[in-house]
Amino acid sequence: MKKNKSMIFWFCLPALLSLLIMFVYPVCRTVAMSFFQVESLTASTADWSFYGLNNYLKIFKSQSFLTSMQNMLMIWVVGGVFTLALAMLMAVVVTSGIRGKKFFRAAIYMPNIISAVALATMWIQYIFQYDHGLLNEIVMLFGGDKIKWLGSDIKFWAMTASFIFGSVGYYMLIYISGIEGIPQDLFEAATIDGASKGKQFFSITLPLLKGVIKTSVTFWSINTTTFFLWTKMFSPIDTEQSTIVPVVYLYDTVFGGKGVINRDAGAGAAVGVVLTLIIIAVYVVTERLFRGSDLEY
Amino acid sequence: MKKILSVLLAAVMVMAMLAGCTSNNPPANSTAPSTNSTAPSTNSTAPDDQGNEPAGKQYEGVNLTMWSMWNSDEPQGKVIQEAVAAFEEKTGAKITVEWKGRSVNEILSASLESGEKFDIFEDDYQRIANIYKDYTYDLTDMAKAAGYADHSYACFNDTVVEWTTERDENGNVTKEGFLNSIAEQPQVGGIFYDKDAFTKAGVTAEPKTWTEFLDVCQKLKDAGIAPIAQDSAYADFAFYHQLVRHLGEDKITELDTNGGWANDAGAVAAAQEIIDLVNAGYFADGAPDEYPSSQNKIGFGQAAMIVCANYVTAEVNGATGTEINWGLFNYPAVDGGVDNGSAYIGTNSLAITSYTENAQAAFDFIMFLTSGEMDQKMADTAAQIPADSRNTAPANLTGTIETLLSADSPMTWCNGFNARDDLKTSIKSTIVELFEGKFTTGEDFCKALDALY
Repeated sequence: MKKNKSMIFWFCLPALLSLLIMFVYPVCRTVAMSFFQVESLTASTADWSFYGLNNYLKIFKSQSFLTSMQNMLMIWVVGGVFTLALAMLMAVVVTSGIRGKKFFRAAIYMPNIISAVALATMWIQYIFQYDHGLLNEIVMLFGGDKIKWLGSDIKFWAMTASFIFGSVGYYMLIYISGIEGIPQDLFEAATIDGASKGKQFFSITLPLLKGVIKTSVTFWSINTTTFFLWTKMFSPIDTEQSTIVPVVYLYDTVFGGKGVINRDAGAGAAVGVVLTLIIIAVYVVTERLFRGSDLEY
Repeated sequence: MKKILSVLLAAVMVMAMLAGCTSNNPPANSTAPSTNSTAPSTNSTAPDDQGNEPAGKQYEGVNLTMWSMWNSDEPQGKVIQEAVAAFEEKTGAKITVEWKGRSVNEILSASLESGEKFDIFEDDYQRIANIYKDYTYDLTDMAKAAGYADHSYACFNDTVVEWTTERDENGNVTKEGFLNSIAEQPQVGGIFYDKDAFTKAGVTAEPKTWTEFLDVCQKLKDAGIAPIAQDSAYADFAFYHQLVRHLGEDKITELDTNGGWANDAGAVAAAQEIIDLVNAGYFADGAPDEYPSSQNKIGFGQAAMIVCANYVTAEVNGATGTEINWGLFNYPAVDGGVDNGSAYIGTNSLAITSYTENAQAAFDFIMFLTSGEMDQKMADTAAQIPADSRNTAPANLTGTIETLLSADSPMTWCNGFNARDDLKTSIKSTIVELFEGKFTTGEDFCKALDALY
């Protein structure tokens, strides 16, 4: 037994060292950096000067950061409701014994295997395009005037809708695996007892999927917090207020944008710490809300 | 036995991991930023100005590493590969190009600070001069020996020296600036237009004043051509020109820092002039559109002009499959303008790391790439302005060399809007709304800007 413990230690050591060097150290450095005035991300600690909470004050006084947080919150709430609800609906439909189940499952999941860059380009240059985009063609077919889908008023919603389209399939697969894990006996018994499909969904499927929903909410929170590429695609040359999110703000703060030579790694680290705290908070709240939801059949 | 084996395996794994984490730090005494350049080689092997071949292979055994901001399959990348092959053949040097792509600027700071082993890198000259200055080689003497000033653009060289000059809080020079980059792909901004559209509309001369510009717009509109293409991505750049004419860059920076836009008659007038353009219907349908939809309308013959940098010509030609007969004129002068002459200039440049062990070889390669035959090839292949002012600009960029040679008051890329990082995106969004026609008067727009402070 003693020999085994020793072996466990030695075999764990590489992974442990990797974790310490590549995860724990950067996290500690980032947290420390957020309390210092640091220009460059890799500046020597000798060049750091203590700044107290000023980095946090700076970002929370920044209009751009506050807007980015607001945009992120909207994506999390509105995008989350639509994405998870649509994914659940699709999952239920696909697992309901519908003909062509495999086709629908593949079709709905397909956006996930296409590069997000290609997907965003399709939405921007084909669907939302002002002159001959799909949506405006439909609008004009019904005699309406062309709409600027990517105008500053609704660009955020256009981006969110595109992101939802690209995300539904992933969460649908998670729900499908959850639904398929529920014993069929329960549905058969409910059917014999005269429960409608709707009743079965709300009384059996949904309660038994609480654990899966918890997981998907956590994944969605992480996806939203690390939202980056779609913003870059919808504001290609330079960051715009309508699409900015915290990670893009962080990126611009640390690396500078087009023509911008000011860099502030300390403020960027503060943004990173705030985002981490948000994810932890969401995780804790989700854990409490869905406590005791892990089931074994 | 098993125990020994497991310990050995674990040790090997740890060693392998640590080896993987080891950086290629240069010798400790070579990481300090260069302040003094080394004397240029007197027997440089690069071709001289007359294109004479050097004797012998001076750089046999010399290895150089270059970090490129392009990808190997892009036109610029292909010319660089050709230049590398030719330089290797001539000099015996071995050059390894690492294709870092556009995101090279994300890793340059960290890599330079850690002394990562590479000799040459590409990036925007403003970033090289302002951000990486302490990690770049002083090229002044080598450039002088190579006669670089005779075939380059003073506007870039002087600006680089100005940016690298260190001053105290009173503005007194504490450390002289130096040349730390060589222009590779120059850019010039202004109003690019389709000459054929002008001809069709009966426009015979490029407008020099705002009144003449409005006259051109009306003629184009009457001819059924949208006068101005405008994508939202460049809305701030376009409005910046208008503001610079009225206020100059220093005043813009001051307003950007402290607010007070509505109290400045020049800012109000600049905004009002844009509103007048919008109300007159001089912008293409859908403008400000999503990049690059509006600029492509020039390629489709639906619009005639755009405020942008020269790369717009290649982008439009490439995206629309046309060969537009491009022309360029400087942004028109406005009545009572403070700065009626400046034009945007910029460049992607090449720099040498301060800790390189082969500065002269690196410099000679840079000269080889950015002058003479290779530079002409780069200009023709990538449809860009030659870095060597003795070369010829492609047809779509006729006149740009002369513009750069005569540029005595260069305009930056919206630097005035960058004074307040926290407001930059808000200001840009408000400018996009200006082009969307959301403000009735210039004063309304300026008040909206002031409301951000």
